Amino acid sequence: MKRFHPLLIIVWMGLGVFAMVHAYSLGLKGFAGPGPGLMPFLVGLLLLLAGLYLLASSLLKRNERDQTRKDEQSKINPGKTGLAVGSLIAYALFMESLGYLITTTLLLIALFKGMGTKKWRTVVMVSVLTSLITFFAFTYLRLRLPMGILRF
Amino acid sequence: MDLTSGIILGFQVALQPVNLLYCFLGVCIGTLIGVLPGIGPVGAMSILLPITFGLSPATAIIMLAGIFYGAMYGGSTTSIMVNIPGEPSSVITCLDGYQMARKGRVGPALGISAIGSFIGGTLSLIGLLFLVFPLAQAALKFGPPEFFAIICGSMVFLIYLSKGSAGKAFVMILVGLLLGTVGIDRITGVSRFDFGIPYLLDGIDFIPLAMGLFGISEVLINLEETAERTIFQSKIGNLLPTLEDWKRSIGPILRGTVIGFFGGILPGAGPITATFLSYTIEKKISKDPERFGQGAIEGVAGPETANNAATGGSFVPVLALGIPPNVIMAFLLGALIIHGVPPGPLLISQHPQIFWGVMASMYVGNCMLLLLNLPLIGFWVKLLKVPYRILMPMILLFCIIGSYSINNSAFDVIAMVLFGIAGYVLRKFDYEAAPLMVAFILGPMLERAFRQSLVLSDGRASIFVERRIAAVILLISALLLAHAGYSSYRRYKSKSQASH
Repeated sequence: MKRFHPLLIIVWMGLGVFAMVHAYSLGLKGFAGPGPGLMPFLVGLLLLLAGLYLLASSLLKRNERDQTRKDEQSKINPGKTGLAVGSLIAYALFMESLGYLITTTLLLIALFKGMGTKKWRTVVMVSVLTSLITFFAFTYLRLRLPMGILRF
Repeated sequence: MDLTSGIILGFQVALQPVNLLYCFLGVCIGTLIGVLPGIGPVGAMSILLPITFGLSPATAIIMLAGIFYGAMYGGSTTSIMVNIPGEPSSVITCLDGYQMARKGRVGPALGISAIGSFIGGTLSLIGLLFLVFPLAQAALKFGPPEFFAIICGSMVFLIYLSKGSAGKAFVMILVGLLLGTVGIDRITGVSRFDFGIPYLLDGIDFIPLAMGLFGISEVLINLEETAERTIFQSKIGNLLPTLEDWKRSIGPILRGTVIGFFGGILPGAGPITATFLSYTIEKKISKDPERFGQGAIEGVAGPETANNAATGGSFVPVLALGIPPNVIMAFLLGALIIHGVPPGPLLISQHPQIFWGVMASMYVGNCMLLLLNLPLIGFWVKLLKVPYRILMPMILLFCIIGSYSINNSAFDVIAMVLFGIAGYVLRKFDYEAAPLMVAFILGPMLERAFRQSLVLSDGRASIFVERRIAAVILLISALLLAHAGYSSYRRYKSKSQASH
């Protein structure tokens, strides 16, 4: 998995082409009076060329890769990784409407349980306490955290 | 301002109670995150940056710098006790440090690493003082073409010294440069790559980017590690090395200081490369190299000194030129900009309290670390026993608070999560995030220098070769790139010949 990545290389090349097209529409204006698009255009061009270089070298290394492919089985743990990413996105979406205290408690409960802490009572207690302590500590440090539905 | 009055001013700033407190907090947090493998110095600095908004710029930088060199100290403890490096620059310490611990010499291993770090840190500060002034003086004569060449040269160094594929490092730099162009162009006022999203008009904030790429992605990667940490059960005992240990260590400590200091100045090299170089050199010049890997104290003293000396070295280009040589310094530079302090050759004359205060505080911080670490090693080791299932939600929580509090906006949290996923995918495919981050910070400076140079020369790109300094730097950069390409071609050739 680690070395065979034509998809990612195509993403880089696509990004390069997109940057060039977008930069061109912004105006290059040439070297005499460089416009806002000149630098992104050049970077996009280099990205396209770098992508071509990586693609060519990954094709050249194909034989070598076939031999090592079996050794590169990645040990992705989709459950835990998915849980962490999913709960973070959900947190970001709801933190302003529900408020810091509620969303943080829920997030911590999900993460502690997802990571294998067994006792519900401990998980809930630690989560509630952590949310409260961090809320007051950071408010004291003059950081404004959202109150959400608890605003009064 | 002459050297003596500068040093006096520095200590006046560093010894103010508030600065002492934040320096202490910085080195404690640094040691803590150096000990804990779940998060590196960049992640910790990005989490804590919003807390520094209410502080003076000098206090903020004093604390952030404390995290950086504190992490160098802390990382060695886990390498020696658990054979797990707390951060990358302590990887090499595992080889001999852990072997020393297994042979019941855990005390001298920890002791020499703390003492070596102190000596390296202190001597590199003296080196920094000697080097930063002439460099800043010279830089005052630099115009946009020279700055363009220096920034290009830094990026080429990043590619040349990258751990993995040079091609991938190049791609990461280009992606970083592109991300740096998002938002309103400061020269023409035209908005670029905003896709109609108001959040992107101000450009991508570097805190969500850094937290995502270094904090969140590290947590996601760590979730896949199932290995349990076994802490070496040994009484720490006497931390002071014996006379024989001293005799063996003094050479490596002095050489490690020089290697670390100059390694720290070079873009891309930083503390990690310096530790590997120091270890290799010590092994090469040793009369009995077979002792290395079996618990040789030289293998701990050299690299541990080098990684702390590199912190002093890496401040040279930031303070003299405003150009960061590695991702941690890029972060400090970003923090300076957020605090309204323009980095560059004028920093020393316009903000002497920041320059001298940070210098003196680094010395004070090194003393604190020596006093803190030797008696507190037992405490740090206990912290290692905190299971990752408890640690991980806390790290994520601090990342969230950190990114939210920049603008009090949930968009920053979403951006951080998205960059975290991107960082995780990049790591999976062996792409390093550090060149991306450095290029992201340097990108706007590079573009400004590039466009100003072209305006200066009425559109003649030849200005970059007509100016002597710029031409020499660009020539060296081109030679390095050619060499990187040639070595990669030779490696491929020799591999394909071997397989036939």
